[in-house]
Amino acid sequence: MSNHQTPAQPASGANKPPLSLNKDLIGGLIFLALSIGYGLSAQLIPYFPGDEYEPFTASTLPYVLAVLGTVLSATLVINAWREQQKNSQEQAAPKLKPIQGYDWSTVAKLLAIMVIYAMGLKWMGFVIATTFFLFAGFWVLGERRKKILFGASLPFVLVFWFALTQLLDIYLAPGQLFALIGFGG
Amino acid sequence: MLDGILTGLGTAVMPMNLLMVFVGCFVGTFIGMLPGLGPISAIALMIPITYGLEPSSGIILMAGVYYGAIFGGSTSSILINAPGCSSTVVTAFDGYPMAQKGQAGKALALAAYASFTGGTISAIFLLVAAPALASVSLSFQSADYFALMVLGLTAVAAFSGKGQVLKALLMTVLGLMISTVGTDRSTGVERFTFGYIDLMDGISFLLLAMATFALAEVVMAVLKRDHLKEEENQTDSSQIGSMAVTKEEVKEVAPTALRSSVLGFIVGVLPGAGATIAAFLAYGMERNLAKAKEKLKFGSGSLRGLVAPEAANNASSSGSFVPLLTLGIPGSGTTAIMLGALIAYGIQPGPRMMIDNPDVFWSVIVSMYIGNIVLLILNLPLIPYISKLLMIPRTVLVPMILFFAITGVYLVSFNTFDIYMMVVFCAAAIGLRMLNFPMAPLLLGFVLGGLMENNLRRALMISDGSLSFLWERPITLVIVCITVLVLAAPVIQRLLQKKRNQSAPDTEFSAVNNEKKA
Repeated sequence: MSNHQTPAQPASGANKPPLSLNKDLIGGLIFLALSIGYGLSAQLIPYFPGDEYEPFTASTLPYVLAVLGTVLSATLVINAWREQQKNSQEQAAPKLKPIQGYDWSTVAKLLAIMVIYAMGLKWMGFVIATTFFLFAGFWVLGERRKKILFGASLPFVLVFWFALTQLLDIYLAPGQLFALIGFGG
Repeated sequence: MLDGILTGLGTAVMPMNLLMVFVGCFVGTFIGMLPGLGPISAIALMIPITYGLEPSSGIILMAGVYYGAIFGGSTSSILINAPGCSSTVVTAFDGYPMAQKGQAGKALALAAYASFTGGTISAIFLLVAAPALASVSLSFQSADYFALMVLGLTAVAAFSGKGQVLKALLMTVLGLMISTVGTDRSTGVERFTFGYIDLMDGISFLLLAMATFALAEVVMAVLKRDHLKEEENQTDSSQIGSMAVTKEEVKEVAPTALRSSVLGFIVGVLPGAGATIAAFLAYGMERNLAKAKEKLKFGSGSLRGLVAPEAANNASSSGSFVPLLTLGIPGSGTTAIMLGALIAYGIQPGPRMMIDNPDVFWSVIVSMYIGNIVLLILNLPLIPYISKLLMIPRTVLVPMILFFAITGVYLVSFNTFDIYMMVVFCAAAIGLRMLNFPMAPLLLGFVLGGLMENNLRRALMISDGSLSFLWERPITLVIVCITVLVLAAPVIQRLLQKKRNQSAPDTEFSAVNNEKKA
């Protein structure tokens, strides 16, 4: 077996498996960064004159939470690191489960559709934006039957729109696009 | 108390409120049936609808949805071995094997009867326990409330399971952090708004609940490709069989239902323990009590194994209302959502709720019982038909649920910025779920954040900035001590486990030596 070793690696680490981060370590590091960021942002909270004499100000709880978050996440990181070291010595490091096997692309598309829907609501109005949202949602999830693609989107949205505007008397603003070209509003 | 019960009964049997119980149970059963969607998501989806209702009608609707969702969860556990929520995971242990033997109808009927027993016993306990605890808690001050909230939050973390305590605590802190976003109500100072006007009012509770539960749970199902498994579900759910239960079977399971109901209620009252732990404990207790021959049946279609968790999880659901209604402190994610909804109505749950809003307080308790009756006499016979709703293709259902979740938030604020925030929170929740971080503590921390800060502020003002308020009053001191114990328990448990593991090889070694000597 060839034993290629980079010059930077210590001799004792020759048989160690490559470094892999476990879930707790990743989670702990994220929370550590978040807590520090939160604590730093807490410094932006303005003070009123005389606040220095008050036992409790608007920034008291944020500072307490920042410290608490930092301590807890640091503990999680240390625990996870120790666990990882222990497991890597036993040649059974609990690696982060492979992210393959999950349908990330469909989820990313669904999240993107939601963002587009938010934009569409503002510009195209409820009926058109929702119809497109449902249609795109069905399509992304693999629905190709025309009967469902069209039948479950527009008619459903029209019934829902009728219930909201006519039965529940909720005002739904028309899209800004229509207001711009002189329809609705 | 009798006056209160009559007031509650009067409110609960109003046609509108009865309709709400029916609708709540039906919708809850349907949503609860969908694998992955639990009671929290079901209630979150209903909140926008309740905003247009009277407070008592709204809360009654949510209570109906809660029970319906748990019942629906049991149904999908039994029919397709896909628990709708964590509290019905145990139901699948024996319910699904029964369904495989062609006894799905019997399993569903037994689950419904067990739930009804759990609901009845816990409703009686609730009637007694809630007013008693409320009268005690009338003497509570800000310091006691602050200590109680800390206890509630730490207990949720402590009960979150092995290796999860630290993560649950972190999620609680994250929830508290999110609750500080927006204008501080006491001083009028903006916090963490970063110049965004949309953040000045803070992050809406509904938005957070929808994004981290309803949206995230549906998207997680897509991520795990659960929506592709619909066809196998359809075939199984159509074969239900007879729902008849014999006298002997009733005799066999009656003591189990009674025992598990009492256990479930007690576990439910404890903050953080919840229906899942109650169901597991009841199942474990029943298996330990069973004779050696019966023990073998557990896991392969035991009637006692099915009834125990069902009675316990339902009783626990009622039990979890005790700390919510009397102290204003939710003990679970579901009751945290209810607390948020009550606050939105301008009702502050707690000891004064019984005095200030007796109609809401008592009607919730009475309607819980009506909900149980509805589930038994209406939902059970309808199960074969409701389960057909599972045949709606997931490719249609998922976008519909996403639409209801988004629209539910949008129709309250009419602000598209909320949808962007939902997407961000949903993506973050997916990431955190993938890293095995529990979500319920986040919601609890968020809901209790504002209340906790106010009580801490008041307590510190009264004690002139000194932390002595934590030990000056005996009640506060007792609560603080319990909190320390709850926090220390997992550490002590871990140390004991370590010690046991260290001593185990020694014992083995000495045993081997003894054998050699012999």
